[in-house]
Amino acid sequence: MDGLRTEEFVVNMGPHHPATHGVCRLMLTMDGERVMRIEPVIGYLHRSLEKICENRTYAQCIPILDRFEYVTSMSCNQAFALAAEKLAGIEVPERAEYLRVIMLELNRIASHLIFYGVTAMDIGALTPFLYGLREREGIIDLFEMTCGQRLTYNYIRIGGVSKDIPAQFVPQCRTVLSTIREKLHDYEGLLNENPIWLVRTKGVGYLAPEVAIAYGVSGPVLRASGVNYDIRRNDPYSIYDRFDFQVAVRPNGDCYDRYLVRLDEIKESIKIIEQALDGLPDGPISAKVSPNFKPPPGEVYSRVENSRGELGVYIQSDGGKKPLRVKTRGGSFNQLQALPVFGTGGLIADLVAIFATLDVIMPEVDR
Amino acid sequence: MPKLLKDIKNLVRGLGITGKHLGRHAITIQYPEEKWTMPERSRGIVVLLSDKETGELNCTSCMLCMRACPTGAIRIDAPRGEDKKRRLISFVVDNGICCFCGLCEEACNFCAIKMATKYEFSTVNKDDLVWDMRKLQEMGRDVDYVDTRKKKPARADVAGPAGPASSSEKKPPADGQPGPDGAGQDPKTEGEA
Amino acid sequence: MSWPVAVGELHGVFRWLYGLLADTGLPQPWLDILTYTVLAAMVFGVLALIALYLVWWERKISAHIQQRFGPMRHGWHGWYQTVMDAVKLLLKEDVKIATRDRVIFFWAPVMCFVAAFLAYVAIPFGDGLIVADLNIGILYIMAVTTFTVISLLMAGWGSNNKYALLGGMRSAAQIVSYEVPMVASVLVVIIFVGSLSMVDIVRSQSGLVFNWFVFRLPFGPIAFATYIVAATAEVNRVPFDIPEAEQELVAGYNVEYSGMKFAMFFLAEFVNMFTVSAIGVTLFLGGWSGPFLPSWLWFLVKVLAVILLLMLFRWTYPRLRVDQLMEFAWKFLVPVTFANLILAALVKHLGWYW
Repeated sequence: MDGLRTEEFVVNMGPHHPATHGVCRLMLTMDGERVMRIEPVIGYLHRSLEKICENRTYAQCIPILDRFEYVTSMSCNQAFALAAEKLAGIEVPERAEYLRVIMLELNRIASHLIFYGVTAMDIGALTPFLYGLREREGIIDLFEMTCGQRLTYNYIRIGGVSKDIPAQFVPQCRTVLSTIREKLHDYEGLLNENPIWLVRTKGVGYLAPEVAIAYGVSGPVLRASGVNYDIRRNDPYSIYDRFDFQVAVRPNGDCYDRYLVRLDEIKESIKIIEQALDGLPDGPISAKVSPNFKPPPGEVYSRVENSRGELGVYIQSDGGKKPLRVKTRGGSFNQLQALPVFGTGGLIADLVAIFATLDVIMPEVDR
Repeated sequence: MPKLLKDIKNLVRGLGITGKHLGRHAITIQYPEEKWTMPERSRGIVVLLSDKETGELNCTSCMLCMRACPTGAIRIDAPRGEDKKRRLISFVVDNGICCFCGLCEEACNFCAIKMATKYEFSTVNKDDLVWDMRKLQEMGRDVDYVDTRKKKPARADVAGPAGPASSSEKKPPADGQPGPDGAGQDPKTEGEA
Repeated sequence: MSWPVAVGELHGVFRWLYGLLADTGLPQPWLDILTYTVLAAMVFGVLALIALYLVWWERKISAHIQQRFGPMRHGWHGWYQTVMDAVKLLLKEDVKIATRDRVIFFWAPVMCFVAAFLAYVAIPFGDGLIVADLNIGILYIMAVTTFTVISLLMAGWGSNNKYALLGGMRSAAQIVSYEVPMVASVLVVIIFVGSLSMVDIVRSQSGLVFNWFVFRLPFGPIAFATYIVAATAEVNRVPFDIPEAEQELVAGYNVEYSGMKFAMFFLAEFVNMFTVSAIGVTLFLGGWSGPFLPSWLWFLVKVLAVILLLMLFRWTYPRLRVDQLMEFAWKFLVPVTFANLILAALVKHLGWYW
């Protein structure tokens, strides 16, 4: 076979593809069936959000940044509000902090349910998508009851939250959480020990912890490689240091562990929400913030633990009512950056599985 | 061999989980014959509210909603007359640009603008999404609202503090009775908290 | 009857039709040809209806597994949705690539459809409801269902698209690989029956439920299980549907087809599903035998139950990667089915069965 000439060819897994979440273009250099090189081409969803924010007041930036990572837009609101509060030295009342934590964790569960459905769909099992979204409907109904929207909430504001929860929120929330906890048994029974699932995801796409740290990967992908780093624990913001929860860490860095870490995180989030619901105090839901909010000049970077990793917002203020510069940082960008390093060597089916378990959301990458 | 049996057991367990859903009723509803009742805080289209007795628009052209809108979907034309009072000539909301954030509703102190729970306004023509004052008022006629304006005798020169946009409840509005042609007070909006 | 292929005794439908048409007074060879043509048209009609019904059945089952309704608008619970879909596909533009291989591109869907229907010569729909009870019944069916491979390769080649070609070749490799365990499972039953004729196979299972081969044979359940797995792979369904999955880059052999040609491939897939289920029912689940109800109703109920199982497979399991698929066939199924066959032959020889 020495005289056989083979050549590598470039295949485009284009922006429109059922298996890339959002508009991501991957240029694959293939040798036969194996993927040799991956080159992601991004920018198809660039909406210049950061530039838009330079021409909006701080209160108006919040709905704009809702769209930065619309699957978990509560964390985008939270990151921005934290940054502005740090700049201006605003103290958030207790009830607002508890409500924020409840909303953030509910949003994390909703995002992980979408992950579960979409990953299963990419690997071929078509039903878990509907099951995941059915449970997510319960959470979204809670959000709609509170703030009026199902996807881009504009709820967490500078100084607190915008509206108080209605009377039926707490009992309905408890019902939703117990439903999710019981359905998790179904989800696990459907996929966790399924031999086909195991053979598709175990040992596939190993991400070494050193590589993950070198590329700035954060969130469940990092924790699935064995690195115990969670901003809620290592650098607590809001009132996360008051809650008792475990950080979900798994030792092997393959697709199966990335999937399991997120299911574990759902369980931990349920614990946090129940503790917060039990300890919800009365009081004001927002500090008094003027409509012409003008923080003192300075710069601040604040970060939250999103369901995709570290979501950071950097604000530079010159004392006016519009920020001078807003820069956002999302976890998916770093994971997409690390993909060419550890995603090669397998078949396309493996690449689809790896991309699905990375849970990359393109608006976070392109802004 | 034991692994094989375990695999078969897990495969059958998966079949059982999907199979048991065959006996359950579907949870979807048949739109448009059945419609979901939207929660009351649901943010749908922007409407202009009218006074419950007189039927006139509540809007005083204070321009707070226009200033609060992050996308510039609201365009108000309300020039001042000779008596330094604003007269509302046109109030246009472009629903194609509106991002349904609700900041306009929170900024308004006069119960004039609200995000109703209606959501069916699709058209084939993008220009039909630009709604003028008349259409906004008509869409808002059947929207129920709690009137939190404090009715005081009209005073021509009072400028009250503007309500903070981040508080949840509507603070008592600036003084002044909104006139029939929208020539109300122009509360100071530059005050610091 | 002086046909080159020896036919079993004239069965009910054929005899009735023959008697009906004998009144027209045609000479002998023409009468047989006419009878067989009418029978073929009847079978074709029944199968077209079955294919339409199966598409609707699949959509409803998948919807109720996912707790939604499925088609609801066209008729009661959408029963004529498939008819409207077929009409829509007929009205669609037939996109033909300029650089296609004209002859092969045109004949590939025809070939697929023909291959799907050829098997129904020897499948018994009920007591006496069989076109021709060939004494090589099951061998004929196994041989003829392999024609779909040719049509897949033709479709892949004729599209002048390297991804379609790859998809076609993968599909062909999959079908050919899974023929081996399928035939080996079928052979287990043949050993015990002693005849290849489909009617004989069903007759030897008549009586109680426990006479069905799936319960009766010492290795019946294993043979049935391997048959079902191999049959799922034959029809290119999940978990073996890599060749036609959208999430893969290689979009399958029928990517360049549109309109009615695509509908041919689509309907042929459902007819194939009915075929493998019908064979499974005839061989393992007692065919048409059953008390009280008419035989064709029993047959339909049993086939629909097997198809329900295939559909549950599709909506529950993820799909296997291509190399895992081939590995599963050659390294697991083939040894298991051959071991089953050898043990079954041993048991038959020693007379230890009941």
